[in-house]
Amino acid sequence: MFKKSLLPLIALFLNLVASGQTKTAVTSKEAKIVDEINLSEQDIQVFKEQTKQKVDEFQQYIVTLGSKDEPAEKRNMAEKEALKLFYKGAQMEISMIMPDGIVQKVNRSMEKYLARLKSLPFTKVVIKFYDIAYIRDFTKGPDGKYYSTATIIQEFTGFKDDNIVYTDVTKKDIEIIIDLVEDKFFKEKRWKIFLGDIKASETKTTNT
Amino acid sequence: MVGKSFCKRLLSALIFGWLGILINNNCDSQTIVNSQNPNEKIFLVRTKQFNEFIDRFNYKTNFNGNPVDSVFKSKMTREKIINSLFDLKDFRADLSGKNWSKNYTDLKTEFINEVLHKNILIFKYSDKIIAEAISRIIYKGTPARISIFLTQEIVGNGMVKWVISSVKGDLFNLFKPDTAYIRFIPPSSNETDFINLKRALEDVDHLQEYSSKDYYPDYLSVFFYMVKSGFIKFDYVEEVLYHIIDIPGWCIKVKEFNRNEMNSGWLIYDVSRNFSDKISYLKALNK
Repeated sequence: MFKKSLLPLIALFLNLVASGQTKTAVTSKEAKIVDEINLSEQDIQVFKEQTKQKVDEFQQYIVTLGSKDEPAEKRNMAEKEALKLFYKGAQMEISMIMPDGIVQKVNRSMEKYLARLKSLPFTKVVIKFYDIAYIRDFTKGPDGKYYSTATIIQEFTGFKDDNIVYTDVTKKDIEIIIDLVEDKFFKEKRWKIFLGDIKASETKTTNT
Repeated sequence: MVGKSFCKRLLSALIFGWLGILINNNCDSQTIVNSQNPNEKIFLVRTKQFNEFIDRFNYKTNFNGNPVDSVFKSKMTREKIINSLFDLKDFRADLSGKNWSKNYTDLKTEFINEVLHKNILIFKYSDKIIAEAISRIIYKGTPARISIFLTQEIVGNGMVKWVISSVKGDLFNLFKPDTAYIRFIPPSSNETDFINLKRALEDVDHLQEYSSKDYYPDYLSVFFYMVKSGFIKFDYVEEVLYHIIDIPGWCIKVKEFNRNEMNSGWLIYDVSRNFSDKISYLKALNK
């Protein structure tokens, strides 16, 4: 998947570059290294397929997390596993359309977002995702990582007893990052897919 | 698997049917695509990302995001696809409305014809794609709105990043034009070690009038200084618009239309003639 001779340099580089969502500046020497480590078109296609799986996985965790019928243990596990899909420091930006039509945005850490989702004040929550996900091509950034965005749609319904008290349809644009990380088991660097920041915006739709 | 494949084909057929009718007759999609969940169909046809807009404009991908093939081409010509990438609710293009504009309609037709005739494609990483991030900031404790213009830069071997190219906003209009008084530093000031300089620099609202005729304010530096000094606190991006000047002789503007129709998502809301390069275009935006 990548040039093995460059492994020691990559390890050094990865130690130098801070993790997290901020795309950290690299020195010219590091930039030369990241310039040389490339994924082939074939690899990128494989990662695009894997991105779909990661997004599906995330959607499954969200459904479990939101479901009041599931046991607390299972929901806690879903929260924990969902967080593992994300880059450290990933944020959720939520757009809300105010009654006067003005759009307001709120930023939350992914940890807070998932925790809130688990404890919403409804007796029952139904979250559905559409089968379709749009994933743009991956583009390499100056830090050597590959970036893409996946777009999905989520339908949310909140019940109080048997009555629907809240419903919305949100479009979620999820940043996708392929990064080289240390595989502790194999003791080598491997490309891995992470989910990054998410932009969630309410869409105007037909009630179904 | 067979069932899923059949459903996909059926869905494609419905979409083709809808688009053909929409483009020819401007008909409501809901009457054409009968489904248990019409939102899902709409989501498929909607231009979900700006990247998808470029791919569709370039006739590279179909509605499923797969490469355009001969089957797709036989049902959806590039002309139809480009037409569907315009905001079809634009009053200027509505022949029955009072805001119909012959000029705009002719310009749009001319643009589409030129794109088709010359097989013009938009380069995805072009530095002539200018993203305008309309942003909410807090300026001295009060919310304000500015536009931050970003462009793409290719680094090294095909690595790409967005860079801040310019800013625009009322708060950067620090310099009020004043034609009532002539302001200048007198010709003999040098002999008095520019005693007048203090007077000039205390005339804070008209400082630019003491500058060279070639002076052009660099708002981006002003913006960086204001952020660094704490005068401006960035809040969030409210909306993103794109100015695409990558097509020789033209500028198209694209924004996201959030509505429950197939003609939604990232669409062209304006087309105009443009002969400026990127720097001149960005400068003109600040006037």
